[in-house]
Amino acid sequence: MLENIISELEKQFQLEAVDHNSSDLVFLTIDRDHAVMAIDLLKWKFGYKHFVLLTAVDFLEEGKFQLTYILNNPDTKTDIGVRVRIDREDANMVSAHHLWPTVATYQRELKEMFGIDFPGSPRLNDPFILEGWEGTPPYRRDFDTKAFAASFYHQREGRTTNDPATYMKEKLYPNE
Amino acid sequence: MGTLKDILSPFSVWKQVLKEPVTIKDPLNRAGSDRYRGFHQNEIDRCIGCGTCEAICENEAIDMVGVASIASKDGDSGLRPMVDYGRCCWCALCVDVCTTGSLKLSNVYTWVDTDPDNFRFIPGIDKKPWDNAEKGYVKPDNYELYPLERVSMDHLHPEERDHSFIEIMKGYSDEEALIEADRCVSCGICTATCPAHMGIPEYIKAIRNKDVEEGLRIMYETNPLPEICGRICTHKCETVCSLGHRGDPISIRWLKRYIADQVPESAYADVLRQDSVEQNDKKIAIIGAGPAGLSAAYYLRQLGYQVKIYEKLQAAGGMMRYGIPEYRLPYDQIDKDVNYILSQGVDIQYNVEVGKDISFSDLHKQYNAVYVATGLHQGRSTRIPGTDHKSVYQAIELLRKITNNEEIEVAEKIVVIGGGNVAMDITRSLARMQKEKYGKVQIIATSLEAEGKMPADLEEIVEAREENATINPGWGPREILIENDKIKGLKVVKCLDVFDAEGRFNPSFDESEEAFFEADMVVESIGQGADLGFIAPEFMEQLEKDHRGRIMVDPLTYQSTLPWLFVGGDIIEGPDVIHGVANGHKAAKGIDLFLNK
Amino acid sequence: MSKKEFFPMDGDRTKYPEIKSDGTADIDLSSHKYIKLWHGPNHPGITGNMAVELTLCGDEVVEGITHVGYLHRGFEKLMERRKYIQNFPLVCRIAVPEPDYNEYNYATCIENLTGIDVPEKGMWLRTLTLEMARLQGFLMWIGGMAGAIGFGTVGQWANYCRDLVLDRFEELTGGRIYHIYILPGGVRNDIPEGFKDRMEKNLREIEGFMKDIRRAFFDNYVFKKRSVGVGYIDPAWVFDYGIVGPNARAAGFKHDIRKNYPYAKYAELDFEITTAKDSDIYTRAFLRFEELLKDIDLIRQILDKMPEKGDHISKVSNMMNLKIPAGETYVRSECTRGEYGYYLVADGSEYPRRVNVRGPSYTHGVALLEKMLVNVNIADVAQLMVSLHTYPPEIER
Ligand code: SF4
Ligand code: SF4
Repeated sequence: MLENIISELEKQFQLEAVDHNSSDLVFLTIDRDHAVMAIDLLKWKFGYKHFVLLTAVDFLEEGKFQLTYILNNPDTKTDIGVRVRIDREDANMVSAHHLWPTVATYQRELKEMFGIDFPGSPRLNDPFILEGWEGTPPYRRDFDTKAFAASFYHQREGRTTNDPATYMKEKLYPNE
Repeated sequence: MGTLKDILSPFSVWKQVLKEPVTIKDPLNRAGSDRYRGFHQNEIDRCIGCGTCEAICENEAIDMVGVASIASKDGDSGLRPMVDYGRCCWCALCVDVCTTGSLKLSNVYTWVDTDPDNFRFIPGIDKKPWDNAEKGYVKPDNYELYPLERVSMDHLHPEERDHSFIEIMKGYSDEEALIEADRCVSCGICTATCPAHMGIPEYIKAIRNKDVEEGLRIMYETNPLPEICGRICTHKCETVCSLGHRGDPISIRWLKRYIADQVPESAYADVLRQDSVEQNDKKIAIIGAGPAGLSAAYYLRQLGYQVKIYEKLQAAGGMMRYGIPEYRLPYDQIDKDVNYILSQGVDIQYNVEVGKDISFSDLHKQYNAVYVATGLHQGRSTRIPGTDHKSVYQAIELLRKITNNEEIEVAEKIVVIGGGNVAMDITRSLARMQKEKYGKVQIIATSLEAEGKMPADLEEIVEAREENATINPGWGPREILIENDKIKGLKVVKCLDVFDAEGRFNPSFDESEEAFFEADMVVESIGQGADLGFIAPEFMEQLEKDHRGRIMVDPLTYQSTLPWLFVGGDIIEGPDVIHGVANGHKAAKGIDLFLNK
Repeated sequence: MSKKEFFPMDGDRTKYPEIKSDGTADIDLSSHKYIKLWHGPNHPGITGNMAVELTLCGDEVVEGITHVGYLHRGFEKLMERRKYIQNFPLVCRIAVPEPDYNEYNYATCIENLTGIDVPEKGMWLRTLTLEMARLQGFLMWIGGMAGAIGFGTVGQWANYCRDLVLDRFEELTGGRIYHIYILPGGVRNDIPEGFKDRMEKNLREIEGFMKDIRRAFFDNYVFKKRSVGVGYIDPAWVFDYGIVGPNARAAGFKHDIRKNYPYAKYAELDFEITTAKDSDIYTRAFLRFEELLKDIDLIRQILDKMPEKGDHISKVSNMMNLKIPAGETYVRSECTRGEYGYYLVADGSEYPRRVNVRGPSYTHGVALLEKMLVNVNIADVAQLMVSLHTYPPEIER
């Protein structure tokens, strides 16, 4: 079933990768400019009308964000994950809020948490979860949560710990 | 929508007014359920301070801290977990992962205190009201966060091996090694116990990362004989492995062998990348190419010294080649390690006996320092009546001859006196030769020590028995009976204890319980001694010795009372390969210290 | 003052306030016709710490904007620097009243990507905790729903009943709220002896209370008067707004993941999808009540079918060293609020590259709520929010 849809999609789009997760879940990669068109097609033609989620994955080392749209067809009970790789620098993506109004919420979160722009998406720049946040969007991998917590919150004083091997060396054979 | 019923119906629940309230009357004393995850308890004597609980704690609620009343020792870091209840979420993953099973959560969960610092405490050390609570969360049965069984290694079965000297253990496959390496919890408790303090968790991690080359580099930092040690090391590390408390210790030795086996000899130079050492012109002589001599040579070369080894026999390896049989340690594996060391620019001369072919004082004159690591090659005799018969042999001599392919006597019935690894080596070697020659095995090994107390590794005893050798321990040899110049056998009496009340070697016997082992040939294997006759008397006099006449050295540098003379290997400690490797390394650093002062 | 002036939004109220060409409402605060009112973020009921910024005209809401973030702890990000096993104590905190769905989905993601099996009994025990989670989730919700319109006593009863379920959770898992019971390969502990009988006793007591709650709350003129016809969800919005669970089923959408995408042991259980059609607050409330009763039945079925013997967890490799090969997966299950999903991306390391939690509240609590608030009477805001059954930590994660 999913195979048919994929071969249909392949006629119109260049699919960069197709990964079958199971018989009813497949992930495919489409380029930035065509992804929303493909999603549009999946929704209206193939019945993938339930919008499950949209999120981003930071591949910092590769300089890319992956956007993942998971779509569900409630009749065939299958899911398609549409993946899009976009540049991390000046990250932006075609908005899909016209397909499902609720997508605007996801895009608003991605703008705030990853700094990905979706031009034209309603209320995109309204603060969503963070208010008054400045600096690196916190869900990017180059934002160090641990360093942030260490500097931002009070740390309990007097805590030290020992590595067993190092401690035993100090105690048992310090000069070797 | 609204009906009369909807107006009247709600009034029917007025009956609730008459019900007992369901409120818990004394919430501070409500008992938690039997497996409630409340406050920590730690059986402090069972805990070994491995820190695995700290490693899994996602909240960083645990610190490993030193405790005054607990000293660090083999298998116990001396640290104990301190919990911070400002961070703990009582998930009990620390309980599940605890390697010894010492950590628990009691079902007590109420605690009122005004001092926040009290909520950081060492369970089991800082006394708490719930210390003796019986109920609470313990790691459930049938559930482990890591496998407790070790991956067994493919090996030759007794019937496949009892007639040949082919190596018994086949080594781990990639998959087996990965599974075994995966079991390691990386606590590092083993490192202190390894005489060479090898980076064990680190090289095991390299296996997990499928980076055996990194593993090899880590091993060479502390041990230049990984192929050899990966096969025949006495693996003291495994006796303290934290996983051994509830399951099988990690197969550290086999994993070491796995790494070395994976890298072909031709790739060593590339992998270890050691050609950029800065050279100096100081010269060191090493006497003996056993583990200590080779190890010292290797690390001295790493420090840029010019090294020459003098070896009495025709090949390098010492006891590793001339003592340990080929079925445990094949010669090509010895060559692999030795060749790499020699390829580092170590000069070696075989068939030279110091004291005979070259004098000790010449060495002193020609070299800046001398390292003596000649080992223990002189078999000791029981000196019971009959030992001067020509068919009474020293195990160590027979083993040397077997290595050299020299003809030796293999009688139909043999008795071996001794219960150590050397005794097992000669027993199993002769058993193989008997099998070949006579089609059956008739060899008895007997020792003073009773079953279960023999100094040999358990697996050696088990395997010897599998190969049809008889191991009959707990007897004191009394006399070798000889009739018509032919050995009839060995008379023994029951040995009650090997040590006296003070723990000194002083065997006691029950003379009334006798036994007789028939034999045509007797092999003695009760220990070896050093032959230091090559050290000229004028030097020998200047050396400080202990009450048993053994040369004293500085325990860190292995320097003797003659500053240019360093002594190591089995002469000083052991006997085993890994101590030799360790003290060879220390001597190399000691020599470096001495020459750079 | 004429009536027209006093009630400015008589007539067609959906056109009020006027919508400007850019799509936003034409609200001029300086006209003194409007006031701003913050509803929350203090817990106005069972909705948790979220706020709606209301613009009122008289007692009518003309605009509502959801504000979340009061419970933001950055769970998804925190997971990226913890080993897979270390995330179990973390994920359960994403939906406090129903932590088990997080554990289940997260564990299943790991199992999908590593091929770890779950033994039969482990699966039954998982199913048991999932249904118990639904039962106590609904009980807590009833408390909130009743509380939101002033039925405090009903709320007390419901929460007492919830406590009974938590007692069983405590006995089974060692924790009342955060169970940390489901782990890769199965569940952490076997079922204690006599559990079934104690559960049965609790279920009977709960059923007794449910009869009273039905009489006191659902067959109640006041509640009906306030909720029938209020807070209508148009079935046409279901896909536009990603509406799932009881909110969708009360609008006639026959969809339940337990039935349509059977997971755990649901294929072996006998139950029907509950649906309704009126799609107002009362319908949603009553549908949840019916589901709650079905959950009681399901728990009985599960305990009847629970195998006596068998492992509760399979043998796994060292969880401290677990590396998951590069790949991604999505796992969903049906919690009290609908589709709960985990999207997990692994990159071959010991740490997840990304975990994304799809909580039903994400769509219900923001886009849908904002849409539904318009033209609602201020007195109905609280019950409207509760009727959508939102957990804010799911939104902000
Ligand atoms: S119970 Fe959990 S949070 Fe507390 S110390 Fe143990 S591992 Fe850490
Ligand atoms: S894991 Fe167990 S044995 Fe190791 S330090 Fe913690 S409590 Fe002690």
